[in-house]
Amino acid sequence: MSEQMEVSTSASVAQTDEYITFVIAGQLFGVPVLKVQDVLSPQQITPIPLAPPEIAGSLNLRGRIVTAIDVRLRLGLNGRDEGDEGMSIVVEHDSELYSLMVDSVGEVLQLKASHFERNPPTLDQKFREYSDGIYRLDDKLLVVLDVTRLLDYGREVAA
Amino acid sequence: MDDLLSEFLTETSEGLSTLDVEIVKLEQNPNDADLLGNIFRLMHTIKGTCGFLGLPRLESVAHAGENILGKVRDGELVVTGPIVSLILECLDQIRDILNALEATEAEPEGDDSELISRLNAAAEGNMADAPAEAAAPAAAPAEAAPAAAEPEAEAEEEFVPTPASETGNMNVMAEEPQAEAVAEEPAAEAAPEPVAETPAPAAPEAPAAAPPAPAAAAKKPAGNQEVAKESSVANQSIRVNVDLLENLMTMVSELVLTRNQTLQILRGQKDSEFAAPLQRLNHVVSELQEGVMKTRMQPIGNAWAKLPRIIRDLSLELDKKIDLVMKGAETELDRQVLELIKDPLTHMVRNSADHGLEMPEDRIKVGKPETGKVLLNAFHEGGHIIIEIVDDGRGLASAKIKEKVLANGLATEAELESMSEQQIQQFIFKAGFSTAAAVTSVSGRGVGMDVVRTNIEKIGGTVELKSVEGKGTTFTIKIPLTLAIVSALIVACGRERFAIPQLSVVELVRASGNSEHSIERINDTPVLRLRNRLLPLVNLRELLKLPPQEAEGPVGSESDEASETAEHAEMADAESKSPEDTTGLIKNDNFIVVAQVGTYSFGIIVDRVFDTEEIVVKPVAPILRDIQLFSGNTILGDGAVVMILDPNGIAAATGEIAVSGSAAEGAAERHAGNNAETVAMLVFRAADEAPKAVPLGLVARLEEIDLASVENSGGQRVVQYRGALMPLVQMDGKELKSEGRQPVLVFSDRDRTMGLVVDEIVDIVEDRMNIELGTEKQGCIGSAIIDDKATDIIDASFYLQQAFSDWFAGGERGDGAEEGGSKILVVDDSPFFRNLLAPLLSVAGYEVTTVESAAEALELCEAGKVFDVIVSDIEMPGMSGFEFAETVKNNTRWANVPLVALSSFASPNDLARGREVGFTDYVSKNDRDALLHTLKDTLAEVRGAA
Repeated sequence: MSEQMEVSTSASVAQTDEYITFVIAGQLFGVPVLKVQDVLSPQQITPIPLAPPEIAGSLNLRGRIVTAIDVRLRLGLNGRDEGDEGMSIVVEHDSELYSLMVDSVGEVLQLKASHFERNPPTLDQKFREYSDGIYRLDDKLLVVLDVTRLLDYGREVAA
Repeated sequence: MDDLLSEFLTETSEGLSTLDVEIVKLEQNPNDADLLGNIFRLMHTIKGTCGFLGLPRLESVAHAGENILGKVRDGELVVTGPIVSLILECLDQIRDILNALEATEAEPEGDDSELISRLNAAAEGNMADAPAEAAAPAAAPAEAAPAAAEPEAEAEEEFVPTPASETGNMNVMAEEPQAEAVAEEPAAEAAPEPVAETPAPAAPEAPAAAPPAPAAAAKKPAGNQEVAKESSVANQSIRVNVDLLENLMTMVSELVLTRNQTLQILRGQKDSEFAAPLQRLNHVVSELQEGVMKTRMQPIGNAWAKLPRIIRDLSLELDKKIDLVMKGAETELDRQVLELIKDPLTHMVRNSADHGLEMPEDRIKVGKPETGKVLLNAFHEGGHIIIEIVDDGRGLASAKIKEKVLANGLATEAELESMSEQQIQQFIFKAGFSTAAAVTSVSGRGVGMDVVRTNIEKIGGTVELKSVEGKGTTFTIKIPLTLAIVSALIVACGRERFAIPQLSVVELVRASGNSEHSIERINDTPVLRLRNRLLPLVNLRELLKLPPQEAEGPVGSESDEASETAEHAEMADAESKSPEDTTGLIKNDNFIVVAQVGTYSFGIIVDRVFDTEEIVVKPVAPILRDIQLFSGNTILGDGAVVMILDPNGIAAATGEIAVSGSAAEGAAERHAGNNAETVAMLVFRAADEAPKAVPLGLVARLEEIDLASVENSGGQRVVQYRGALMPLVQMDGKELKSEGRQPVLVFSDRDRTMGLVVDEIVDIVEDRMNIELGTEKQGCIGSAIIDDKATDIIDASFYLQQAFSDWFAGGERGDGAEEGGSKILVVDDSPFFRNLLAPLLSVAGYEVTTVESAAEALELCEAGKVFDVIVSDIEMPGMSGFEFAETVKNNTRWANVPLVALSSFASPNDLARGREVGFTDYVSKNDRDALLHTLKDTLAEVRGAA
């Protein structure tokens, strides 16, 4: 397993990659498992005033402060229903921790590069922006989320 | 980067900064063998490592430097200014190459043969030819290696003339003309000067250099010992990566938090067997925390290491003699803080040396020692580090600052007029402000003190400034010991808790509808009256765009483990569940955190205030960094994350920071500065419930008399007071009680005193008078709103006359007769003073006309009225007193009428200014006696002259 781990996450050159899958609004997503530090059940989150709406707040993960991002809102989808608490995937980006709030977390899948495809150009602009491409699974499609781009707020401001 | 290389870079740059310091020390103390040995070793190490790593260019430069140092060590060369300059130049070159090395990981191309040949020549004891030869080759490599050649070319300009001036500095009997001539023709003239040939001819130079040396040695024994101490300490230390320390710090913080939680659980259980081990754990963790904190501490001397070199270079460049004294270099502070104050400190020291200190000639002229002194002093004080930068130079020239302020439009003349010297000096912290008449290469470029202040305030520090013209300037910097752990006040707004650094919190005020303090509004902007000052308020709820009050659970209740803080929250919540105003954003019951940023105070309205807590500041995620209101976030003892509010950010977001007095001046003075027209009023109660007031200036003393000692004399109640009888007057004329004690306001005039019996002395209030006139009541001038209440202003003269029917008639009348009803014009915009002065003056026998503005007075002048004296206020709307005086003196028929200025605010500056524009005299508004005397004198003078 460890040899495969070293493969870059950009996915285009890899033979097989491991992904953690999760579901948002019925759609299956995946992030490279190497990026993931933790999977969390709902936590106590401190909202941050004046922050963009998709930033749900910050939480304390074993003494480190983690910024929670509601991926639904980041992707331009509707917010979760009241009472539906969802789960979180903690990723590291620029040596900061972020908790990605999703509806539910699935399993770890090994995916073959041959099943990978670029985003169809007709995809929603936000999806295209934050996704690396699509894996064709047997029964459904998995959207690979590009964590770097998802969290790169600086680039957006500059653009 | 290669580990080996990066280690080499850190080590070498460290070595270089030590060398900088040591070489300058050596110059002052050329016979110190230990010092010399140390320097040689350092240079040798640099050279050796270069060879090892395969850096030929660096090696050759270092070798040449080592060579010359070797000769010095072996006694073949004598340490002189030029040699030191040359060695320092060599160090600069090494540093340039190192910088390039760091950037590109390869040695830059370039030619050092010129420098090396000069170094070698000097090592041969032949300083003379080197510069001359060097001039030509220096131009050639300039194109080939810009990176290396540029500093060289600069060095060429800077350093070639230095041998001459340097010798001037070293040599006690410096000869100016010679120095100048040398500067013209450096190569030729410098030749005979310094290190002539080895041992023998160096002898004449030696005695010249020798005298300053013992002096320096005598002054510096402490410094030398320190060096010895430090180096022995250095042997016992190991180099640790900073990241590792940071990590340790984080872990320890986490451990502390966990310990707190555990202790919390323990508290809920009685007789737990965990109690003893947990106690032990508690102590160990505390000690561990302290220990790890200490690893981050560094002596402030590290930030000062560059300064001796800078000062030395400066003294050569500016041709000044500067003595840099550093005290408290061992004072420790957090590494992070140290990094942040390094640049501001360097800038300020440079400023002091450049702007602050005068040229030697000027110093001698004003009777100061020729050598200027810059003192750096660091010490601990109450959880802070205080750094003082003191120079004994020329101080700040208020006049120059004023000109500059006016020229830049930072304030109007009238505003300046009402400012204290200190306030005017504060302007140097404004952007784009430099008073250096000429821009030197050192300072005076118009960036400076404002940047310094901003940088220091960024780390939660303050800068204060004290300066006496001609005596020198003192800057006092106050900074927190560490940025990592700060004491913070935890407040709540809505459901959220926030931390405010305790450092910027001045006080807490509870404002509610029925307490003394309540929030008032000006066009929906909330303000608070606090000790007779309007405090601007910021509503945190609005600022953070939090949802309004309704539908809120208690703060902290979502936390599963009910921590102490959460319990507090609930308690506070229960307490504040009074009827809440759900319509407005501010309810009746509020807590106000009074914060101070620099000199700007403001209140932050919050819902609740909890405890203070020691918090570990953590930076916010990059995506949140553009929210100015937060300076970081932290994890509280109960495990919750809270945002740390940045008072600087809040101040910047809600209002601009005004230049006003320094923080130490206190509210009162600032108040006086902003509102020149305010009057101190003594508020008391007497006769009835309505508060009464009298200008404090009229009251001589406040006494309390024993009613039993009141006697009757001639139908009047009197009391023995200071060996005389003092008549007592009561406002309502009622009988006094026969026993008990009662406060008395004592009015006095020459040898007479009178006591006004009152029920209670309430307060002394400094306020702008808004007199509402038209009282019919006897003994009352009118009423004003003081401290939010309608207050009668009593007419002191009425009661004086009650006590002594001849109070004004007696002495004054006699004088008045000879004055024969002189005509006085009183110009004052304040109805209060017009009404106070008019009766006073007319009682004294003058014929008084009052007008409320300068314009009105000039109309009277046009109309041909004649007055013997004009008494004019200074601070008036429209035309000020100064302008009025100028107009009168310049071109009206009143040009010869004496003018007396009247102001509630008399500083020496005002006096000078007043005389300049033609005022005969200057009287403080509240000094009745002085006014009468002045009028009498003025009139006498006029009569005498006529």
